[in-house]
Amino acid sequence: MTAAALPWNEAERLSALQAYGILDTEPEQAFDDIVRLASRICDAPIAVVNLIDQGRQWFKAETGLGVRETPLDTSFCAHALLQEDGMVIPDAARDVRFEGNPLVTGEAGLRFYAGRLLKSADGHALGTLCVLDTQARPGGLTPLQAETLDVLARQVMAQLELRRAISEREEGVIALAESEAKFRAIAESMPQMVWSSQPDGFHDYYNARWYEFTGVPAGSTDGEAWNAMFHPDDRARAWEAWGHSLETGDLYEIEYRLRRADGVYRWTLGRATPIRNEAGDITRWFGTCTDIEDLKRSEAGKDLLSQELSHRIKNIFAVVSSLIALSAREHPEARAFAGSVRDRINALARAHEFVRPHSEVSQPLIGDTTLHTFLGALFKPYVDASGRSRVAIEGEDATFDDQAATSVALLFHELATNAAKYGALSAAGGTVLLRTRNDGDRFILTWTERGGPPILEEPVRQGFGSALASLSVKGQLGGTLERRWEPGGLILEADLPATALSRRRAALGKK
Amino acid sequence: MNRTGISAFREPDIRHNKAMTARILIIEDEALVAMELRFVLEDLGHEVVATVADANTARSIAARNDIDLALVDIHLSDGPTGIDLGRELGQERGVTVLFMTANPGMVREGVAGTIGVLSKPTDERAVQTAVDYALARRTGRPVEYAPPELQLFG
Repeated sequence: MTAAALPWNEAERLSALQAYGILDTEPEQAFDDIVRLASRICDAPIAVVNLIDQGRQWFKAETGLGVRETPLDTSFCAHALLQEDGMVIPDAARDVRFEGNPLVTGEAGLRFYAGRLLKSADGHALGTLCVLDTQARPGGLTPLQAETLDVLARQVMAQLELRRAISEREEGVIALAESEAKFRAIAESMPQMVWSSQPDGFHDYYNARWYEFTGVPAGSTDGEAWNAMFHPDDRARAWEAWGHSLETGDLYEIEYRLRRADGVYRWTLGRATPIRNEAGDITRWFGTCTDIEDLKRSEAGKDLLSQELSHRIKNIFAVVSSLIALSAREHPEARAFAGSVRDRINALARAHEFVRPHSEVSQPLIGDTTLHTFLGALFKPYVDASGRSRVAIEGEDATFDDQAATSVALLFHELATNAAKYGALSAAGGTVLLRTRNDGDRFILTWTERGGPPILEEPVRQGFGSALASLSVKGQLGGTLERRWEPGGLILEADLPATALSRRRAALGKK
Repeated sequence: MNRTGISAFREPDIRHNKAMTARILIIEDEALVAMELRFVLEDLGHEVVATVADANTARSIAARNDIDLALVDIHLSDGPTGIDLGRELGQERGVTVLFMTANPGMVREGVAGTIGVLSKPTDERAVQTAVDYALARRTGRPVEYAPPELQLFG
């Protein structure tokens, strides 16, 4: 007797067989019918659906055998697994593979065997559907018997696949029910309002907190009825945002006023995320509503306070500015001095307006709070006879913060004042070009004067204004300042670290 | 305070100033700012009818006097009442109105019946050109362009 040698990965085959969940299950009529039919058509006393397990063969269905399993070492079918198209043994007594096999030599006296492979979709041989006879059949199976056995073997496989599919689905349903139970347990215990909707936006779930907050009967806000819980002024906006999310799959996020059980509308943050299946289709939306009324109030309070402070600061600038002018009236000889101090104070006040915390009302009148808009405002007084600005600003813009504001304001105020006294802006037709650009980790500002009085030599003495400009760039902004007195006019280049204008933002970016 | 020395620092053009002389109401709750403004306007030859710090006093002054121009701050001693006051003076009393405020964003959308807003702090020259411009508009004299510091409405 020769035990069948196995040329495939037996561990993989066994695990594929296990996955069907069929081993050691009760007999079932579908399989019993098949073996009875196989036995009758093939005119054989024995027919089995045989699955080759580890060390044993186990029969899902059998007729004429009377047992559900036998050891593998006497198995006919273990040999059949080696042959793709099944195996027919006309007379086992004359076959070397079954020499000394007790099933052949013993009481059972088996002689004839015909088996068909049960093969899974991914190619694993699981077992056979086979018929056995105690009479040798030199002619084997008739064509009808052979075809019947083929068809029935495929039916066995179909039954196995069906059972596996059904059991997988049942497991899925159980897992889903478990995950849903978990979701509900979490959602119901959350202090936040939680809801869920179908992919078309039909709301079908709200947690206990929602009903507690709104005070409406359970189920009464299903479908689209949630919208009526919002403040009338917020309904259309929320409806539109929700519609947009449903259409695009974008996250839903909106602030609206939600009616509490006592009739008071409270500011609420609504958010929702779509859940997608493997194909990417949205299967559900999960949303939350968070009461942000208290947060809003404290924010509004802070805004109000910071606006009030900003307003006071700007007013103080105005008072200081007037105080300087009034003081100078008593000392006419100080008038020029007072004028220049006043102009510097006013430049600082203007810079403050561009960097202070802003609300809708406190935004500067002109555009965004960027470097270019600020400088544009600072240079506003320098216009030609037709009202056109004599200082052109070109290049890449930048944002700047309150730390940089003082330095930037003083630097350009001094440059413009100096140009108006001695440089390009002191002569009719003279102009200035200010070009700004990013250069890697540097931000470079180039101030070029043209059309002023010709420059014959570099000024010997540096005034306080120039010192102030240098101090602003080197001391405050950590940059370098280079002045070139060219015949056509002053060219000044300020080379700053790119982070100098907005240190806070740079620090945030690093985090 | 000695103001007599000031004239030496002005370049008075008597004819020009005469033509522009106007009756002006200053509505400003910061006393120092109001005082300086008054001196600047008087130096320019204008008559400052009164300096008031709140909207109601401004209303009663405007009711009893002919006012050509009102310079109106927005935050007054009785609150942010300047906007309504300016609109009322412009539309109901025929006063030419210029706002002067440290917070020009408050009148971002413009105020009907008024000319525009000048940001504080400012200086003599900006006040002069803005007032000249406003009075030119009032009397229908041609103006080439608005002073750059003055933000016009609509």
